[in-house]
Amino acid sequence: MIIEISHYLSILATGLFLLIGLISFITTDTKYTAKLISKTFSHGFLLLLVSFIIYIWLAITDNFSVQYIANHSNTELPVFYKISSIWSAHEGSMFLWIIFIALWGFIFNINIKNDEVLKPKSIGVISLILVGFLLFLLLTSNPFETILPIAPLNGADINPVLQDPALAIHPPTLYLGYVGFVIPFACAISFLINGNPDVRWEKLVQKWSVLAWVFLTIGITLGSWWAYYELGWGGYWFWDPVENVALMPWLAATAFLHSLSVSIKSSHLRVWTILLSISVFSLSLFGAFIVRSGIIDSVHSFANDPDRGLYLLMFIGIILIISLSLFILRFSIIRPIGNIKSFSKESFISINNIFFGSLIFCVMLGVTYPLVYEYLFDQKISVGAPFYNAIFIPIVLIASLFLFFSVDSKWSRNLNFNFFRSPIIVSIILSIASIILLIYFFQTNNFTFLISVYVGLLIIFRYCIEIFNSFYFKKFINPFSAIAHLALGLLLLSISFNSLLSTERALSIRLDSTEEYKDLKIYLKDIKVVKNSNHDSIKALFFIENSRGDIVELSPEKRRYRTRGQITTETAIHISPLRDIYITIGDQLDNGNWVVNVQLNYFIRWIWFSGCLMAIAGIVLIFSKRKV
Amino acid sequence: MKFLFKSTVLLLPLAFIAMFYILLTEEDAYPGTDYKTFDIPKFQLENLENTKLIDNDEIKGNFILNVWASWCITCRVEHPFLMNLKNQGIKIIGLNYKDERFDAIQWLDKYGNPYEIIFHDLKGSLALDLGVTGAPETFLVSNGKVVAHYQGEVNDAVWSNVFLPIIKEEGMF
Repeated sequence: MIIEISHYLSILATGLFLLIGLISFITTDTKYTAKLISKTFSHGFLLLLVSFIIYIWLAITDNFSVQYIANHSNTELPVFYKISSIWSAHEGSMFLWIIFIALWGFIFNINIKNDEVLKPKSIGVISLILVGFLLFLLLTSNPFETILPIAPLNGADINPVLQDPALAIHPPTLYLGYVGFVIPFACAISFLINGNPDVRWEKLVQKWSVLAWVFLTIGITLGSWWAYYELGWGGYWFWDPVENVALMPWLAATAFLHSLSVSIKSSHLRVWTILLSISVFSLSLFGAFIVRSGIIDSVHSFANDPDRGLYLLMFIGIILIISLSLFILRFSIIRPIGNIKSFSKESFISINNIFFGSLIFCVMLGVTYPLVYEYLFDQKISVGAPFYNAIFIPIVLIASLFLFFSVDSKWSRNLNFNFFRSPIIVSIILSIASIILLIYFFQTNNFTFLISVYVGLLIIFRYCIEIFNSFYFKKFINPFSAIAHLALGLLLLSISFNSLLSTERALSIRLDSTEEYKDLKIYLKDIKVVKNSNHDSIKALFFIENSRGDIVELSPEKRRYRTRGQITTETAIHISPLRDIYITIGDQLDNGNWVVNVQLNYFIRWIWFSGCLMAIAGIVLIFSKRKV
Repeated sequence: MKFLFKSTVLLLPLAFIAMFYILLTEEDAYPGTDYKTFDIPKFQLENLENTKLIDNDEIKGNFILNVWASWCITCRVEHPFLMNLKNQGIKIIGLNYKDERFDAIQWLDKYGNPYEIIFHDLKGSLALDLGVTGAPETFLVSNGKVVAHYQGEVNDAVWSNVFLPIIKEEGMF
């Protein structure tokens, strides 16, 4: 009964959003219609929100007459997971996705004044996108379906891999990031429809775009961290198709933010900025399509259903046709006036756009090539890390070198500096000195490692000098750019050190005996079977002693979940700033020994820290009063 | 030039959409069911642990030959199903394809080893003779004769639609 109210409210909201879309595009903009559209949108959001809150309440109270809840929740789950079970599968996560689009629209709606020229049509675009997704939800993946007349006594349980605090925050954060780019997209479309080149849509969307980018960055970082400790994969990035479809919008969004900063100051790169705003949003939708159509096999993909895929594909197609046709129609008004000065900041950023474009293209190729190949030759192939490493590493390094030189460039001016008195030479000398120390210390001649570290150090030293100058000589520094680029340098360093130093080994250990690995003495103290509320587990206890004599206790587990019979590995990790000791237990061998996998992951925390630092940079920009 | 730019901007994404449309609506037939059988080519490869050389004489009888690698994500997805087959008593021989020996051993230690014997085919020489194009791929071998070849992930559906009919026909296992 209650579920019908929730269902009905979402249908009502769909109608209301359709109405807003029609009003905003049919009527001419007047004060009255602007107010009407704004008010109606808030009401539509309210209906949707109430519908979602009812749905959450049904999940908390174990209402298994709702099919989706019966399939994905269970009475024995803690309340926390009862709520997060809503976004553990396709229908519910789509519902959350829609709520987030509406939420962004709502906050945008109440923050922007009604007399803003672009507002009514932006809200109209957001409403129509909402209608598209709501119809998708209601027609092809209805979370409101019921099992009547007799509801099951208990639910089928949430996938145990997803019974984890990170799950409760990882998908929502990522979704907030993905759909946040609906704001710049809607404003860009509204700007194109409006057709007046003097309207500065770029200023309107900057903070919104940065906020969405912050969520996307945190979401991807969380996902990487989650895969590391929950899936037991032991690495931070796997070039899995679903990671790739999250990476593409991130790359596009990063390029978009760079391009946006130019377009705000002058009318340069407007073509880029608009194309990028369309790309970010359509790449986000493309991600949803890849994950939800079942076209690619992946650990993340939801159940296969070609109908859903087809609907989403058509939806993306329509959005692309409309927005790109508008772009072509209005091409003459957004074309740049005058040329960009060579070696000005603008020129560096336009080169940066090209680098990011190439990276996106390369990921796209990696994702689609196996599909096309399979279609043409009826054969399956896998595109994995070797392909991406071969293409990504050189492009990222060259782009970073350009970044290093761009620090000295000025807006709308030619590069003009005395090479020998510039901080560039200081950074180069410092970096070379550090590299020589590294070669001496690590005895390595791994070229990729050395060059990546070198480029990373160049960026870090260069920006440290900038920060020093800003403190002592009050030289202007853009804190957002400095922090974000320091994070990039740190990311390069930590990834390089991680791949150089990290090792792993599978040991076979007898109970109550010690094995040595590197500087560690690993002692298997105890192993026992533990029964828990919804799973049985084999739990081991290790004492690990390092060369300095410090002892840590670690207890990895292997769990068997009763309801689904699924077996998961719970890793045990000892965290320290420099390295993680990462232990998983495998099977028992015939001779009674246990297979134990030990990994030493160096600098892996620094990789996620760099991700967080980038997000912090974004937050700094959002709260800064200055124009950037 | 301007026209070229405009049409590329519009047509390139639409071409992508069209491509995905074709991929999505394609009838998903199982390939490899009308298969010309052939004998396993002559070969001599090291085993994964690098303790001995394996040739045709070492592999007799009926078995499944699975091509895998530690860098292959789909193999990771396929892996639990192979473990199932092993537990049902079906003999699986692994062909470790263009992989680092150390990585492959780590992979097996971590996820479990469904294979009775594993060859280390670093250069893909045997794989080339067998007609392998990537990983994962799976062959059905009946008394030294290859009777089926499936490219891609083997799962319940593929097993019952592609392999079981041939297994029954050949009277294997």
